Parts: sequence; C-alpha cells; structure tokens
Amino acid sequence: MENKTQRRKERIDRGIKVRTDGIYALMSIRELSYLAMPRMILIFGMLALPLLLPGMYWERVITITCIYALLALSFDFLAHFVGLVSLGGAFFVGVGGYMAAIMNTTFGMPPWLTVPLAALAGGGVCTLLLLPCLPLRGVYFAIVSLMYPLFVARLIEALNILGGTDGITGIDGFTNRWMEQYFIIGILLLLLFGVRRLVNTDIGLVLRGVKDNDQAIRASGMNVTLYKAMAVYIASAMGCLGGACLAHIYMWSGISQFALDFSILPIAATVIGGGGTLVGPVLGCLILVPISELLREFGTLRIVFYALILVAFIVFRSEGIMVYGRRKYEQFERWTRI
Amino acid sequence: MLEATGLMVFYENMLALNNIHIRCGVNQIIGVFGANSAGKSTLMYTLSGIMQDIQKKEAMAGGERITLMGEIRYMGEDISGLKPSQRARKGIVLCPERRRIFNESSVLENLKIGGYLASSSEARNTLEYVFKIFPTLEKLKKRIGGFLSGGEQQMLAIGRALMAQPKILLLDEPLMGLSPLMQAELILATKGICDEMKLSVIITEQYARPVMPIVDYAYILENGSAVMEGSKEELMDNPDVRSAYFGIEESYE
Repeated sequence: MENKTQRRKERIDRGIKVRTDGIYALMSIRELSYLAMPRMILIFGMLALPLLLPGMYWERVITITCIYALLALSFDFLAHFVGLVSLGGAFFVGVGGYMAAIMNTTFGMPPWLTVPLAALAGGGVCTLLLLPCLPLRGVYFAIVSLMYPLFVARLIEALNILGGTDGITGIDGFTNRWMEQYFIIGILLLLLFGVRRLVNTDIGLVLRGVKDNDQAIRASGMNVTLYKAMAVYIASAMGCLGGACLAHIYMWSGISQFALDFSILPIAATVIGGGGTLVGPVLGCLILVPISELLREFGTLRIVFYALILVAFIVFRSEGIMVYGRRKYEQFERWTRI
Repeated sequence: MLEATGLMVFYENMLALNNIHIRCGVNQIIGVFGANSAGKSTLMYTLSGIMQDIQKKEAMAGGERITLMGEIRYMGEDISGLKPSQRARKGIVLCPERRRIFNESSVLENLKIGGYLASSSEARNTLEYVFKIFPTLEKLKKRIGGFLSGGEQQMLAIGRALMAQPKILLLDEPLMGLSPLMQAELILATKGICDEMKLSVIITEQYARPVMPIVDYAYILENGSAVMEGSKEELMDNPDVRSAYFGIEESYE
C-alpha cells in the first residue's frame, strides 16, 4: 500500500492470441516456433541425451531417470488430475518387474513382448488390488497405497516365494544398449504427450471433476469409482512399464524393486517440477536423479544436500520450475501507472 | 473511527476495488450493498487485512498477483501495514462469509477459541452475553459445529467474533442462505449488539431490504466502485436504489 508510487506491475499475455486452448491461428514462422520450440527442445534434448553422455555409467543414469520420470508422470496424473495422492509407485514398479521376470524366465517370452504385457497385466493386477481403497481420499489413500509395497515385499521374503530374498535372476537383457535407452526415452515421450492429450479429452474433464467435487460427479449420474479405477489403471500401467524395463535392464528382479525410493522420489520431482503440469515432474526427475548420482561421492551427506534442495524449493518456489517457467515464457511484465 | 481512503485492489489485471472511500464512526452501523462480484468481500478482506495474507499465499504459489493500494486509518493510526492478527487485536474483527465456523468443535469450544486472546473475565462476560442474545446457542452448547443449521451457524459465527472483543465488527453477508424469519431475528440481534456493546458494525449484503432499517449510513458498490452513498433516508428516496436493492418497483407505488 504505497501512496507515493502509484504504479503497479501488470502481466500481459505474450505471443499469439489463442481463441480457445488448443486452437491456434498461426501467421508466421515466428509464431510457429514460439509454440513448437519448448516441445522441440524437450523432444530433441531427450533424444540427444544418450549421444551427449556416452559410457556405461551415464547410460544407466539415463535409463533410471526415465523410469523415475514415468513414475513421476503417473504420480502427477493421479494426484493433480484425479485427486488420488498415491505413494504406491514402488508397488507398481515391483509388480511390473516381477511380472516381466516371470514371463521371461518361466514362459521364455522375449523383452519386446514381456514389457508391454507386464504393463497391461500389471496395471490390471494393481488396479484390482487397489480397488477396495478407491473410495478413500486424501491422506488415507496415501497411507494405504504406501502399505502395499511394504506388504508385498515382506510377503515374498517371509514365504520365500518368487525367489525369496535372492529375487529372480537370469532375465534376458535388451539386445543392445542403444536400443535400451531409446526404447525407454521413446516410451516416456509418447506417454508424456499421450497423458497430456488424455487430460484434455472428455474423460480427462470427468477425472478433474472427480478431483474437485466427487459429489457433483455422482449427481451428474457418473460412477466415480469406475473413473477412479480407470485412472489408477492408466497410472499403474505406466509404473509397471517402468518396472518391467528395470527388470530387463538389470537382468534381475528382487524385493528391492519395492523400495520406497520409487514412491518418494517421484513426489519430490513433482514438487520441484511443478505439480499439475505433467512436463514438470519429468523435468524434476531430469534434475533430481542426476543430482543424487553426482552427490554420491559425499556418501551419507548426500541425503542432507538432497533434503536441503527440496526444502529450499518448497519454501521459496513452491509453484515449481515448470509453472514459473511457463509464466515467464507466456507473459511479460511492465509497470503501469494507475 | 475507521476510515479507508483510496482503496484499490487489483487481482492480476482486474480491478476489484476502485478508489473506495469508506468511513465508519463510533457506534454506527454501516451498510455496504452490491450484487455478486461488486467487491463486497474484497472490501471486507482488505479492511480486516486478510487480503495481505491471500496476497502472500498467491505470490508463494505463483498464482495471481494482488496489488493493494490506499490507506486505512483506525482511531487516527495508519494500519495499512498491519497483519490481520494485529488488526484483530486492535479490535477489527471479521465474521467471514459462509460462516467458516470450526466444524469439528462444539459450540462452546468454537466460542472459546474466539475468545482466546481476551482476558478470562472478559471472555466470561461475553460468553454470558452471547448466550443471552442467542439463547438457541446455549441449548446447543455441546453440539458439534458442523451439525448446526445455517441460522445457528451464523449465530455461532457472530458469537465467536464477539468473543474476540471487537470494537468494529465486520459482518460479511451474514444473511446468506437464511430464511426471512431468521434474517429478521439476526438483524435485530445485530442492532442489539451494536447498542449494548457500544461497537460499530460494517455489514455487507446483496439484498438491502432486511438490513436497511438498522443502518446509519450506506454505500452501494457496483463493479468495484462506490456508485452511491448516503444516509438511510437519502438512499431510500432514490428510485434506482429502490428498484435495484429493495425490489420495489415504482409502478406499485
């Protein structure tokens, strides 16, 4: 409330005027590039990663990053478009991993068959198991979905089924490392743009409605549980896909795939990248996972730095990189007199 | 007692309040009338300081940028920079729109929370007073707030605001969703509170008719600007105001 400076900063939309979201009237190459540039940078940047960072070590980092990005994407989709805060990322990965392992070792299916099958079937298994929890909301769903990976891991350990603590070994790897990397990067990009489309279709609208007010959705004659189950299927299939890839990359599947890292890191990535943007969590993973690798030299102190970065982000930039970046890209500011 | 000059509030590029001047004297009831989106709630938030809180939250979350301008003077002191909690301690207490009672606490607990900063004797006296003007609340003392009816919740919200020992009570749409009978009862109670506790009241409402009889001075907001102001009689005589805010058509006269 300054009386002396009768000025304020105003924000003005930059660039081409859009009549509705998704319909653009392009008048020049400049406008075309304004629209396409961010997407192209992401796509070509991702595709160039394996070329820019050669070597066994970085290859692993890239593939792991992509798997975490898949999980973060599925977390963001569930949390910000359906309203289910799921801590079950590890559950999805584990189910996908073990599915692919069993299909490969017992039935002798090649990786190009086990990965999609594990994703589709694993999604079904996860959805069925989570079905009783779907009426839960908020923190209750989070707690229950956190219990699932712990439960299954201990079950495998205690009953000594599915290889027990040793896990399932002798899984076929991908034929070569280039294929492995580009396969995962390709799938990640495909799913990223796919989910972005999905949330803007009619079903996406219903899902967002479920998040905002499920009573109103019920009053409109739609079955909330059915839509939630559909969303969980999509999200868990993405997680299982990541898990199946993980099993084939390490040629091993064990209870460490139910580790909490797979549940927690995607959430951190979503916070840093900006929730509800879908691209944000992927960017968050691209930042967080390599950082956590680089900090490995510091040993246990790694977690300290990691936690500091997270806290700083939440306190000072809780909106996330993507929301901030988009605002700076799409709007400019200037001072105006009142 | 409370005087706001040149209040301007921007939600991003949208002007929500445009150069509003409003004055409230000691022991007066001021009415602020206007349709939806006229800026009534924004005005209340700005006077009580909650707007600063909203502004901060929006900035943190990267949402809308809210710009506040103008000056609010309270008993000769500039309070424009004070936080809502500091303003409440000075006696500017907001009874928010949609009541916002504590749903999971009982009626008595709700009132006690409101009187947390008052001295124990003040709290005791006010509690007695609240039960005297709203006898319904005393009967429902143990009831959980969320299970009260709309009218009872509104009484509770006003009672809770009184417990904070206000000198100026800001009532934001207290009649929302209440039956005409309940509206009349609440308006009467408001008048009683103003007279007996010697405090000032600023009351906002969309439909002016039930409130008008008790106000000393009123402002009419439209799209964020105060288009008209005047005493009860002045406004009642204006044909535009009569049809827009009282539902009285000239042809019926």
